Amino acid sequence: MAKNTDLISVENNITKKDFRSIFWRSFTLLGSFNYERMEGLGYLYAMLPALKKIYKDDEEGLKAACHRHIAAFNMTVAPAPFVMGITIAMEELAKKDEDFDVTTINSIKVALMGPLSGIGDTFFWGIFRIIACAIGVSFAQDGNALGPIMLLLLFNIPNFATRWFGLKLGYKNGSQLLNDLESSGKMELFTFCAGIVGAAAIGCMIASWVDITSPLAFTISGSEIVLQEYLDQIVPKLLPLLATLTIYGCLRKKIGVMKIIFGICVVGFICGVVGIL
Amino acid sequence: MTLIQAVLIGCVAALTQLEGGWLGEAKFREPVITGFLVGMILGDVEKGLMIGAALQMMWMGATGIGPTAQLDIGTGGTIGAAVAIMTGKGAEAAIVFALPVAVIMQFLNTLLLTAFSGLMVVADRKIDEGNLKGAISIHYLCGFFTFLLYFGLTFIVMYFGNDAINSIVNGLPEWANNGLQAIASILPAMGFALLMNIIMERDLIPFFVIGFVIAAYTELTMVAVTAIAVAIAWVVFLLRSGQQKSPAAVQQNVVDEWED
Repeated sequence: MAKNTDLISVENNITKKDFRSIFWRSFTLLGSFNYERMEGLGYLYAMLPALKKIYKDDEEGLKAACHRHIAAFNMTVAPAPFVMGITIAMEELAKKDEDFDVTTINSIKVALMGPLSGIGDTFFWGIFRIIACAIGVSFAQDGNALGPIMLLLLFNIPNFATRWFGLKLGYKNGSQLLNDLESSGKMELFTFCAGIVGAAAIGCMIASWVDITSPLAFTISGSEIVLQEYLDQIVPKLLPLLATLTIYGCLRKKIGVMKIIFGICVVGFICGVVGIL
Repeated sequence: MTLIQAVLIGCVAALTQLEGGWLGEAKFREPVITGFLVGMILGDVEKGLMIGAALQMMWMGATGIGPTAQLDIGTGGTIGAAVAIMTGKGAEAAIVFALPVAVIMQFLNTLLLTAFSGLMVVADRKIDEGNLKGAISIHYLCGFFTFLLYFGLTFIVMYFGNDAINSIVNGLPEWANNGLQAIASILPAMGFALLMNIIMERDLIPFFVIGFVIAAYTELTMVAVTAIAVAIAWVVFLLRSGQQKSPAAVQQNVVDEWED
């Protein structure tokens, strides 16, 4: 029996050590990703330390629980431990209360996939990754080894924190918390404010790092006219901005990424060969 | 390229893939990281970092979600950086290899994930037999196959493709080089357009303009602009959380504030 202070669930003897184990296992969620169950097996792998404790004297119950958690599941990985926390709490309820409808466990998982993935993608792929990579590039460009270090730190501090606190929060009061956030509208506001940082960073990166210039020059009645000098007088970095907005427009029109890349290769190559770019 | 170097570069490529599956998307796949690692292996860290930065900008928008999951930037970045350092050429040599590799590897990945689907039925059966260890071992097995595919292919390309790569890169005529440089200069715009596609909404346009103008007209660095943006976001959060209503009311407030 573990010390009382180490216990997270008294009735099922789930300890802090089990939670740490689930936390680390959650990093392998995509380890066996496939098109049928997606992250199902990885989810089961992470849940196993808790399931084994909850159903330690109930083999059939354990099997049923394993089948529940190997079911298809797909979510941005960082917020997934939050869902694990919620489902651990629900499994405990299911074990305690014979009348508990176990299908609600997977209903909750399915219900959370969409919204949490949406929030997770915005933050982890849209915001944290951009900022981390942007700062990383700004150092790496000069050959400074701080680049990769900053990149990993800036991304993984929120990554680790979201997993650890998400798991604990989900277990303690997950379902309540979700209701509160949704009804107060705080989550939308927070996401919008994160978007402000992301949007400003993208604007900044286009101006700093997209380096499209034209070498075109004409000689008209003896004086040389360099196109790029005129462009710079209108707006510095005009070509990078126009190129990005044009491609963005194509994306908005749902033109496929592969087609756009192919288009860039053709147009860019021709412009480069004839000396426009 | 020595045997050891080829083995280590193969390991870097495998790391970029296992990062997603086994290290919680800790971002080892980003070209800045792979450029640094490949640079260390090939003895030119500075060049590795610079090539990494160039490829990073090109793929800034390549995420694991939606349509952009069609690019394997991990293996593409690793091989691209290795080629650029090996041949002594710049970023344009890197993209000649990085781009096709990123497309091909993503296609192979699709096949791998399809194969893993078949293993799930086996895991189901193991659970029924009460053999939980057996079910979990399939999780590990998938990781092993992933490692094998990425390590194996990268190693073969690096170790046996050495001469072919050199003659392709060094045999490029001047005009083709110009064309490739132009492509290399436009591709970063693609990356940022993809990013805009993820997070842009109408109310964020002013902040996009602020970021662009500061960087285009001043010498402020990326770190400074990010800090300014965080400060603005903070103020907006404080202003608006005071007057929290329904999400619809929040939207309305945005419009009001811009009209003032």
